[in-house]
Amino acid sequence: MNIITREMKANLKSLIIWSIGVLFMVGAGMGKYAGMGGSGETMNELMAEMPESLQAIMGTAGFDLSKAMGFYGLLYLYLIVMATIHAVMLGANIIAKEERDKTVEFLLVKPISRVKVISFKLVASLLNVLVFNLVTLASSIIIVGRYAEGEKVVGDIVLLMVGMFCLQIIFLVIGTAIAVVYKNAKKAGAVSTGILLITFLLAIIINLDQRLAALRYITPFKYFEAEPILNTSSLDPFYLGLSLIIVVVLTFTTYHYYKKKDLHL
Amino acid sequence: MNMYVHELKAYRKSTMIWTITLMAIVILFLLLFPSFSRDAEQFMKVLEGFPEELKKALGLTIDTLATILGFFSYAFLYIKLSGAIQAMNLGLSVVSKETRDKTADFLFTKPVTRVQVMTSKLLAAITSLLVTNIGFLVTLFIMVSIVKTQDYSMKALFMIAITLLFLQMIFLGLGILIAVLFPRIKSVISVSLGTVFAFFMIGMISSSTDDEGLRFLTPFNYFNDQYIIKNLNYETEFIWISMAIIIVTVFASYSIYRKRDIHSV
Repeated sequence: MNIITREMKANLKSLIIWSIGVLFMVGAGMGKYAGMGGSGETMNELMAEMPESLQAIMGTAGFDLSKAMGFYGLLYLYLIVMATIHAVMLGANIIAKEERDKTVEFLLVKPISRVKVISFKLVASLLNVLVFNLVTLASSIIIVGRYAEGEKVVGDIVLLMVGMFCLQIIFLVIGTAIAVVYKNAKKAGAVSTGILLITFLLAIIINLDQRLAALRYITPFKYFEAEPILNTSSLDPFYLGLSLIIVVVLTFTTYHYYKKKDLHL
Repeated sequence: MNMYVHELKAYRKSTMIWTITLMAIVILFLLLFPSFSRDAEQFMKVLEGFPEELKKALGLTIDTLATILGFFSYAFLYIKLSGAIQAMNLGLSVVSKETRDKTADFLFTKPVTRVQVMTSKLLAAITSLLVTNIGFLVTLFIMVSIVKTQDYSMKALFMIAITLLFLQMIFLGLGILIAVLFPRIKSVISVSLGTVFAFFMIGMISSSTDDEGLRFLTPFNYFNDQYIIKNLNYETEFIWISMAIIIVTVFASYSIYRKRDIHSV
């Protein structure tokens, strides 16, 4: 229990900075929306005809930018990127820092099992991620709500945020799993962010070519994209299941390897 | 000289990884160009049936995008993102690692001045970035000559591609300055990723809404690819700004580093 409090305190500052960052992101992004004119009927019709690769490069990707939610859909990608960076680094650091800062000896001589250490650390990081998500949710509902003229936004935003939460947890456990499996604690952060960057770029590249569509299972950034969520008002159950499997496997990996890990003192 | 060689060796592996990554991104993106240019051609046919003014507005954008230069400038966005992270990482870690790894005592008891230390570190970092850029440029020109569908301006391509180096210099300077200002950075990657992505997102918002004011805030938008393609020249004010940033950050880093209290064991 002490570990949770301690970790919450240790991460408080960074959580505050991230929350301000995401708040700024939503605010500044939607503020830009106010200055945009609607693109009109013909344009939307034309956009629908456009091949996906072209849409991707034009940067509109099937969103109706004349609506506040459409614009928010565009912004969602960047919110996801922020959220996942936060999550993956939190996951990697919360474990790797003990070795890096040479505090692991101090921690593990306490009368507490390694399983408990990991559990508490996971709970603490889950709380952090949850706070990040709730801050995004609240600021999105308030800010997008101000720009939406009569559109219903709350339901869709909640759905998008549930999707984001799944991604956050996936990347959180990717971070912890890497920190545990990888021998060199100093490199854990670099490796896990490397994976994040690669999967992000992969998601961008997949948009450019239909033939690469099969790769979309590899990159979590394709699991909960704004466009299908907004169009169908639901999350794809297949990807929810896939996320669950990934999270369970990686959590198990984290526990399993940490129990036996040779710690570098 | 010893310090320079030592730093180069220390960063040999990471330079290689980054160079290979950038080369891989270039290859991946450009391999998709042939199918993309077919998509674009088909769409231009669809466009025939739409109103004249729309055809003009959109047709022009697509015309510039569907060329190899246009397509590359899209891919280049993500290459710049990766390159900036590399440069910032390098700048941050080259200075801060002495404090973090507690090797500062060892280094500063040697008969070298701090200015010499800084200079060797800076030169090593620049060398590493140059290696990456050469690898990137060579791959780029080979790939483009393989996938091109029609003739293109080599000069424009080079002028765009070399802005990667300019951008990296800016982020290198920024990284060094931050490392000098905040000596107790524990996790380099968190700081660099946070900063770079923040600038990247500001850049994306600025370019998707055509905001001229925001452009000044983010180095990602200092060199406008479309402008370079059209005029075969850079925008003078942004060249000045970039140079000013590089000079100021480097100069400030030197003067602070000369007198900074070094945290030792």
